[in-house]
Parts: sequence; C-alpha cells; structure tokens
Amino acid sequence: MAEQDEIKVNVKNLNFYYGNYHLLKNINLYFKKNSVCTLLGPSGCGKSTFLRTLNRMNDYTEGAKLTGEVLIDGKNIYDKSVDVVELRRNIGMVFQSPNPFPKSIFDNIAFGLKIHGIKNREFIAERVEKCLRYAGLYDEVKDKLHKSAFSLSGGQQQRLCIARAIATNPSILLMDEPTAYLDPASASIILDLITTFKKYYTIIIVSHNIQQAGRISDYSGFFLDGELIEFDEAGNFFTRPKDKRTENFITSRY
Amino acid sequence: MFNLKYKDDLYKFILSIFVLSVISVFLIAVAVILFYSYPAIIRYGFSFLWVKEWNPPKEVFGALTFLAGTFMVTFLALLFAIPFSFGIGIFLQEYCPLFLRGIFTVIIEMLAGIPSVVFGVWGVLTIVPWLRESVEPFFDRHFSSIPFLKVEENIGYGILAASIVVAFMILPIISSITKDSLESVPKIAKDGALAMGATRLDVIKDVSLPYALNGIYGGIILGFGRAVGETIAVVLLIGNQAIVPKSLFSVGYTISAVLANTFTFAVISPIYASAEVELALILLAVSLIINIVGRNILNKVIGGRFNRSQFGGG
Ligand SMILES: Nc1ncnc2c1ncn2[C@@H]1O[C@H](COP(=O)(O)OP(=O)(O)OP(=O)(O)O)[C@@H](O)[C@H]1O
Ligand SMILES: [Mg+2]
Repeated sequence: MAEQDEIKVNVKNLNFYYGNYHLLKNINLYFKKNSVCTLLGPSGCGKSTFLRTLNRMNDYTEGAKLTGEVLIDGKNIYDKSVDVVELRRNIGMVFQSPNPFPKSIFDNIAFGLKIHGIKNREFIAERVEKCLRYAGLYDEVKDKLHKSAFSLSGGQQQRLCIARAIATNPSILLMDEPTAYLDPASASIILDLITTFKKYYTIIIVSHNIQQAGRISDYSGFFLDGELIEFDEAGNFFTRPKDKRTENFITSRY
Repeated sequence: MFNLKYKDDLYKFILSIFVLSVISVFLIAVAVILFYSYPAIIRYGFSFLWVKEWNPPKEVFGALTFLAGTFMVTFLALLFAIPFSFGIGIFLQEYCPLFLRGIFTVIIEMLAGIPSVVFGVWGVLTIVPWLRESVEPFFDRHFSSIPFLKVEENIGYGILAASIVVAFMILPIISSITKDSLESVPKIAKDGALAMGATRLDVIKDVSLPYALNGIYGGIILGFGRAVGETIAVVLLIGNQAIVPKSLFSVGYTISAVLANTFTFAVISPIYASAEVELALILLAVSLIINIVGRNILNKVIGGRFNRSQFGGG
C-alpha cells in the first residue's frame, strides 16, 4: 500500500448501476500522484463508465446509480457538500472520440480559461499557443487559429481536445483512448507528452493498445465485465500478471 | 410471365402517376394564377406594390396597405413568439424532467393542430376585450405621445390583436423545432464542456445553441411562412380596413384577409379580380421562397427528418 499522502485518487467499494444493470462491481484501487495509470479491458467492460465516475460525469445519465466512495486528496467527491462544477475544473478529460466545441480553434482552448474567470487576453493567448505546442498541433494550425475547429481532421481535432484539457492546468487528467484517432506519428507525440506531463498531473488513461500502455504506464489495471481483475505496477502487470485472465488479455486472447 | 420484375415496374408506374398528378396540379394552379393576374400586372406594373389606394369602383389598385399589414402582423408575431419558443424549447430539452417532457411535447404538438378559426374565436373572446379594457387604456394614459404606440380607437381589434393570436399559432412550430434541434446536439459535445467545469447554462450558451442555431433559423422561417399566410384568425381580429397602419393599435388589413373577404365580389369585374389574383401571386411567391429556404436549412441540420415527416417518404 502506498503512503497516504502519495495517493491522489482513492476508489473504495465503488459500485455502479445503469438502472438495474449492475455494471461496475465493487471496485477498489488508487492512483498515485504524478503517475500514469492505464486501464485495459475488452470493449463494453465498463472502462469509460469507470473513468466518468472519477469526475462525476455520470451525474446527468438517466437511471445511473452509484455506491461507494471516490476520494480525491482525501475528500469524497460524492459527498453532498461537493460542488461538481468546481470539482471538474480540477480534472481534465479527453473523450473517446474528438468533441471540439462549435467555436474557433483558439476559442476551443480559451473556453476553459474563460469559464474559470480568466480575462487577461495576453495570458489566454500565451496559454493557447503553449497548449497547442504541447499537443503537437501548433505548426499545423498557427495560421488559422480563428477558423472553426470543425475544419480540422479527426486526428487534429483529438489533439485540439487534448490541448483544451490541459489548458486550465488540472491536477488530474482522464483520457479515454486518446490515441484511437491518431496516426502513429501524432500518437507518439501524445505518448511522449503523457510521459512528460506526469511531473505535473495524475494521469489515468483508458487504452486498447497494450503495446502503448506498456510503454507509458507506471500502473495498470485490467477490467473484465465490470470487475477489476488485476491492478499492479506496470512492471509486474505486463510481465508477470497474477491472474490467468489478465495474462490471456495482454497476450491478446480476448 | 407476370413475374416480380414486372410487378415492381407496375407499382413504380402507378406511383409515378400519383406523384406526377400532384406536381401537375400544383403547376396548373401556378399557371392559372399567373394567367389571371397578368392583366393587372400589365396595367399597374410595379406601382401595384407602392400605391396606397385600393378603390375597385375607380379601378385604382395598389397593394401597399395589405403589404404593410401583412408585414406588420408577421413581424410582430415573430417578435412575440421567438423568445417564448426559445424558452419553451430550451426548457423542454435541457431542464424538464423526462416524464414531463413527453406530456408537454404532446400538448405543444396538439396546439399546432388546432384549426386557425378556433384561434381566431378565442382571440375575439379573450385577447380583444383584454386589449380594449386593460392594455389600450394603459398605453393611452402613458404613451400617447409616441406615434407607434398611439391608441386611435380603443376597440381592441387591430394589428396587435392579430399579431398576438398569430404568435400563439406559430409558437408550437418554432418551439418544437428549437427542441428538436437542441436534441440533435451530440451528447459528447455537451459532455466536453461539462467536463471542463462549465455550468449547464454555459453549455447551452456555448455548445448547444451554436450547434442548434441553423435548425432554429429553419424553424423561425417556417413560422414566418405560416404567419404570412394566416387568414381566418386575422380576418376575425385585424379590423379589416385598407389603411397603412401607423400604430401597434391601428386596425389594418392583410393580403390573405382581403382575399378571404372580397374575392367572391371581385370576380364580377375582370380587372378587380385580376388585381386580387395578383395579391395571391405575391403571397404564393413569398411563402414558397420562405418554405424552400426554411426546409433547406432544416434538411441540412436534422438530416431530412422534417421533410420526410411532412411529405411521407424520402
Ligand atoms: N447510458 C447508458 N445506459 C445504459 N447502459 C450503458 C450506458 N452507457 C454504457 N452502457 C453500457 O455499459 C457497458 C459499459 O460501457 P462502457 O462505455 O463503460 O464500456 P467500455 O469499456 O468503455 O467499452 P469500449 O472499450 O468499447 O469503449 C456497456 O455494456 C454499455 O452498453
Ligand atoms: Mg469506452
């Protein structure tokens, strides 16, 4: 067990239901500060749903129900006193498919800063440029920052969404298959970015790509049918999995 | 002999005849209207559009009073209906609990199906007395110096009464299209903003409305189309006098109202009839253009769903 103050996110006895459908079953795990954790598992096993429980994105889903606790910095985010909007400002999220706002490229990234109450134009412009550079997108879009984000290709849109997620400097970054839409070159930029960024963030990534996951993870977890089968340091997870089902999965038998 | 292939062709043939007959009826109607309005077009030319006088015995025909009345009623009805429709559409899609949404949606769609004469009667019984007894005296006391708000006759009937009732008639169209357009905004786009710590209001303002805007324009244009052509309710409420309305409370006349009231007499004199048919031509042209524009916008936004439900098949 890690030291208490090294833990950023601690999930305790988490159960999640879509109506009567008991999807996530008694999940227990933690994410350490400044680490990268990848969550693996076959399609439909509940990875995205789990990720969304960490910033309460399931709140508005009709019929969704949750028991258990998610502690961030020791505080249960499902506590009644928690302001969800405030909570989410501290957590960046990248979705499974690109979802830019119907705005210009510039305003897509400035949006988060603006709703956080930042008005200083120079600061915003600087931040936009910096985030676009981080996401490896700046050179491609620097001449059309004020064009609609929809004019970008799918891969460019996804990198824009990554830039958008880090613009507000969150302390946790949730990424749902961030490289699924990317060509190998831009995927590689993003993977490097993730490795660099763990200096500042706690990063939790859902991935379908076992090879990529192995390359960037400090920790890894394996979900199957809504259960967390195995969770361990990446070194053990990828080379000496304890559970037969994990082994089957990482050797691609699912 | 009579195999499936032939059967298929036969169906196609029969269906084509149906379709062609509908199209040709439409084209014949347009041709007839053009034919009968031709004498007036030749005789009065463009002056038909800006002459104020409409005097059948002297054979002086200018449509300005009707154009002005039509324009004012349409404009005011949209002005009243649009904010409410937005409110209703946004409420239904974004805030209303799911079990109520269905009920409200049905009620609003039922409103769209009420015959316009019923709206007209309701207007005469409620809106007209309300205007006469409360609104007009109030404006007369406080705003009589503003020409556009001047109360001339205090009878309740007039531009405002007609506009309010027409606003109620177009409210269901615009609000249900606003709701549908908001519904077609991808969930993942809204989630993106929520995840950034946007409030629901931020999401509506910065994501949903920009996404839905084209569809909403389409809804407004369809509402415009209905308001321009609305007849019976207007006949009952506008006061039916061929003057250019100077105030919100003036009486007036619209193209459709004058046709409904006088066309049966007009047929006695060929040039009188021709002038009235030219009014119909103007109305037809305006509503056609507006409907085509509106439908095009809607098709782009909600993938032709609207068109299909209107015409029963792709
Ligand atoms: N809003 C919802 N209502 C009901 N069931 C849902 C809802 N969203 C997801 N599910 C179901 O929950 C299960 C898990 O979905 P989830 O999206 O979490 O899977 P996933 O592991 O992310 O899959 P993938 O790798 O394909 O993205 C699926 O069976 C899905 O059908
Ligand atoms: Mg998923």
